[in-house]
Amino acid sequence: MSAIRIFTACKYGKQAFRPTIRFSSTAVSETKDQHSALKAEHGGYIYVNNQEPSMDFKDVTDRAAQTMFITEIFRGLGVTLGTIFKEPATINYPFEKGPLSPRFRGEHALRRYPSGEERCIACKLCEAICPAQAITIEAEERSDGSRRTTRYDIDMTKCIYCGFCQEACPVDAIVEGPNFEFSTETHEELLYNKEKLLGNGDKWESEIASNIHADHLYR
Amino acid sequence: MLRVPLTRAICLTHSSRVLVTASARLQSNIPAKAPEKVEVFIDDQPVMVAPGTTVLQAAAQIGVEIPRFCYHERLAVAGNCRMCLVEVEKSPKPVAACAMPVMKGWRIKTNSEMTRKAREGVMEFLLANHPLDCPICDQGGECDLQDQAMVFGSDRSRFTDIDHAGKRAVEDKDIGPLVKTIMTRCIHCTRCIRFASEIAGVDDFGTTGRGNEMQVGTYVEKLFLTELSGNVIDLCPVGALTNKPYSFSARPWEVRKIDSIDVLDALGSNIVVSTRTGEVLRILPRENEDINEEWLSDKSRFACDGLKRQRLITPMLRKPNGELEAVEWETALIGVAQAVQNAGDKVAAVAGSLVDAEQLIAVKDLLNRLGSELLCTEQKFPTADGTSGTDFRSNYLLNSSIAACEEADLVLLVGTNPRYEAPLLNTRLRKGYVHKEQDIALIGPKVDLSYRYEHLGNSSSIVQDIASGKHPFAQRLKSAKRPLVIVGANALSRSDGKAFLAGLHSFANQLTPEDKNWKVWNVLQTNASQVAALDMGYKAGVEEIVAAGPKVLFLLGADGGAINKDNIPKDCFVVYLGHHGDNGAPLAHAILPGAAYTEKQATYVNTEGRAQQTLVAITPPGMARDDWKIIRALSEVIGTSLPYDNLDEIRDRLEDVAPHLVRYGRLEENNFYAQAAQLAKLQASSLQGDIDVKQRTLADFFMTDSISRASPTMAKCVQAVKKAQATA
Amino acid sequence: MRIRDLAIYFGFDKLQRLYQDVKIHGGLLMAIQKFRRFDDLKSGRLIGQDKYGNKYYENLYYFFGRSRWVEYPEYKNCEMDGSQVAPEWSGWLSYRTDAPPYADPIKIYTKYKWMLDHSENLSGTKHAYMPYSTTKPKIEAWVPKKDD
Repeated sequence: MSAIRIFTACKYGKQAFRPTIRFSSTAVSETKDQHSALKAEHGGYIYVNNQEPSMDFKDVTDRAAQTMFITEIFRGLGVTLGTIFKEPATINYPFEKGPLSPRFRGEHALRRYPSGEERCIACKLCEAICPAQAITIEAEERSDGSRRTTRYDIDMTKCIYCGFCQEACPVDAIVEGPNFEFSTETHEELLYNKEKLLGNGDKWESEIASNIHADHLYR
Repeated sequence: MLRVPLTRAICLTHSSRVLVTASARLQSNIPAKAPEKVEVFIDDQPVMVAPGTTVLQAAAQIGVEIPRFCYHERLAVAGNCRMCLVEVEKSPKPVAACAMPVMKGWRIKTNSEMTRKAREGVMEFLLANHPLDCPICDQGGECDLQDQAMVFGSDRSRFTDIDHAGKRAVEDKDIGPLVKTIMTRCIHCTRCIRFASEIAGVDDFGTTGRGNEMQVGTYVEKLFLTELSGNVIDLCPVGALTNKPYSFSARPWEVRKIDSIDVLDALGSNIVVSTRTGEVLRILPRENEDINEEWLSDKSRFACDGLKRQRLITPMLRKPNGELEAVEWETALIGVAQAVQNAGDKVAAVAGSLVDAEQLIAVKDLLNRLGSELLCTEQKFPTADGTSGTDFRSNYLLNSSIAACEEADLVLLVGTNPRYEAPLLNTRLRKGYVHKEQDIALIGPKVDLSYRYEHLGNSSSIVQDIASGKHPFAQRLKSAKRPLVIVGANALSRSDGKAFLAGLHSFANQLTPEDKNWKVWNVLQTNASQVAALDMGYKAGVEEIVAAGPKVLFLLGADGGAINKDNIPKDCFVVYLGHHGDNGAPLAHAILPGAAYTEKQATYVNTEGRAQQTLVAITPPGMARDDWKIIRALSEVIGTSLPYDNLDEIRDRLEDVAPHLVRYGRLEENNFYAQAAQLAKLQASSLQGDIDVKQRTLADFFMTDSISRASPTMAKCVQAVKKAQATA
Repeated sequence: MRIRDLAIYFGFDKLQRLYQDVKIHGGLLMAIQKFRRFDDLKSGRLIGQDKYGNKYYENLYYFFGRSRWVEYPEYKNCEMDGSQVAPEWSGWLSYRTDAPPYADPIKIYTKYKWMLDHSENLSGTKHAYMPYSTTKPKIEAWVPKKDD
């Protein structure tokens, strides 16, 4: 689209229009600027609060003329005209995506060890620290005697994405992954259970691992 | 055994508090020579203590807590953890506060620089070999080591073994289905060893090796087979011994803790019920010096998973084809009401072992309004026509109180195995035996009581001999200062129980203990509901009902097997009101699901006559409701509404019938011993046969009622014990 | 030089870019087709393609935030969604890393057999995730025996 914007006069265009606008409107402010700059030089400070408008005859007539010739409207139109030719800052989602940090806290995931063994040991620290109380864990002894969860539910509608859960986790099991595109049409689809969270981990593992690596020097 | 050496060791250092509270009433008129008190200063605060008091106890008197791992006030002093080191002025080295008796004028500093450094050093040594597996440790959150490391430990580590090569590792032991061991976490406080040998009377635990090689274990592979094994879990200050059925299921900070009462034996031990997400996760003892001290029997502690199995969760009615079908409450109540209305006054009720007083009174009121007096308990107790043995409370109570049992100097147990019928009464007897030169004799089958006793035989003629004073043991009882006769309720449920009661009770009344208030005659009940039912005028035993042949029979949690298909009329409409589908429910034509003891606020009276109440820990599952409310609703459908709509009102009614039933936690004084004995004597007959007890070995202990029979943990225990007995 | 500057001053270079872009996309018709689907007409260097057919482009001429983009495959037609991007490419696409997946050692190393294929956000379809309990029921009810 940008290629079509052939009249992107951009900065150059704006500069071209500026002298004409300046001619009438900036006369008063210019003197004031000089005044305050002087003050700053002398007293070492700049008075920034509103000042009483000058009641000199010249200033009063200038203000009256500006009101009469609706110069502010023209200045506004000038700004609009200048922006028309500028390249827009809008990102064309879903083709382009905004920049994210490796520490971005998006959709939760439960990770596994490289062997495929789930990391979570049901210590319940994330559940304890969760300020929104969005996490519910139930655990029991697995048949091999290890400590595992039977229920790991996160109510994503309660979650405030503070990231305390991944901070609290001693085994890096629960993480907030980089995915933010998990909006749903119904409420219950956001009540994640253990299966869903493990699935997230299984899909996003490479990305999560590289994010953790990107941050490893600072942890 | 350990009787002789320990007596001295414990008298030296054991807390006097325990003994004073337990026996204050009994010793009140024994003039004790008050020893000279000595003055010591703890953090410059003066405190007067009896000589022989340890530094730790002296500090506790003014509220200064000294950290400890090995010291436990109910166990002998070991002094091996060194956490309680404190500085004593003019002493060159810090002193172990738990083992050191104070001297006059000592100035003890519990927060000086030297003390702080000593604690930090001890903590560092403990942590050097303690694994950092708190996230998977069940003790996490209630761990003494965690807490004390936070408070007294150093804020940094000098442990540089980053390749994890140097920490000690110890093989886990298999000591049974109840206690899980992770021995690497053990800090060798030896509390479990001392508990096993002193309280439980099972010398199974011990240490092997020295220094870094030291291990706590059972020497040979062996299960920790005792009815009190769960208590080592509470004693263990770290996560070395944890609750196996509860393992990994919850954290202490996320459970709701509700104070309640245990009903699986007749002692009414005080418990704390931990619940989460609508299920009872574990049961812990609650301290009550008068009943369970701070112990709890394994059945009471671990049978709680039976509350989740075999539950009755919907009302049921028997269809014409003979199958039970789940129905709505309305249908069920109308069905029962029709049967009751058709039956006229031929209505009866049998109370089982777990029934609460509110339910008992509601059923009694309902049946009385219908014109029936056929209210019985499952367990028999000697009664006679017209005048029953249950007219006087002193006839069926453990009159001398549980706490006083340890004060007796001569105990005669008749037809009971207190170790399994009332494990915490047995610990009292063992305490008296170990610490106070108590002598114990038993009439009944020879069983292991965890202490040495004189076995007089198991013939019931011995009882007669003693009652008539012919037996040499009768003389010993007569000369004893504080004699005690404890008769098992099961022995009295024999057909000639009357003679038992009459003979022994009048004999007990002839004894002249030193203290005029000392009660000699004691009955050890086995069912939690029995005392309340007898207080309320229920008749003991179901003979009367069987003889009457009722048209409608209410089974109030009656799973003991006293009522069966053969002893009730074919056309009898049986209504089962209870919480478990056990022996009673299959007989029923209508099932009304009630609440278990963790699910209702209810009154229970223990064997010493102390009324206590359970509190609601979780809501009853499914459509189950409070039992007395079901009866109240039923009464309305029948057309004779009972005059109480809430708990307060039904308790007012309880108070009308028996005022002591609502005086919670108090022990009522009993009287009319002579009259009770006299009354019983009129019915006396001769005794024949041998005396038997139902629970002889540990395998008989675990499954005795509908809750524990539904519990998979208890089933595992029975299997484990049987296996161990088979291989032994 | 001066004419070129003048052309830039009046934005004629943009016209030239437009001509280039149309040419790259294969003619005016194709360019309109592309514009319809992508709401934009951009050309850049093809960095890579994932196994779902998404193509990833970069052109540093555009400012940071627009300089990387994904072109969803033809068969998706207009059913395009941000969640169709393969996870391993999402980091590159949102500027978390400059290395595309085939050049990131961690991502090359992180390939386990238990890892699952990506799936787009299925909300609103019949394959949408619906929560269910992963635990056994807490209470086991008593079931009367038939022969009683």
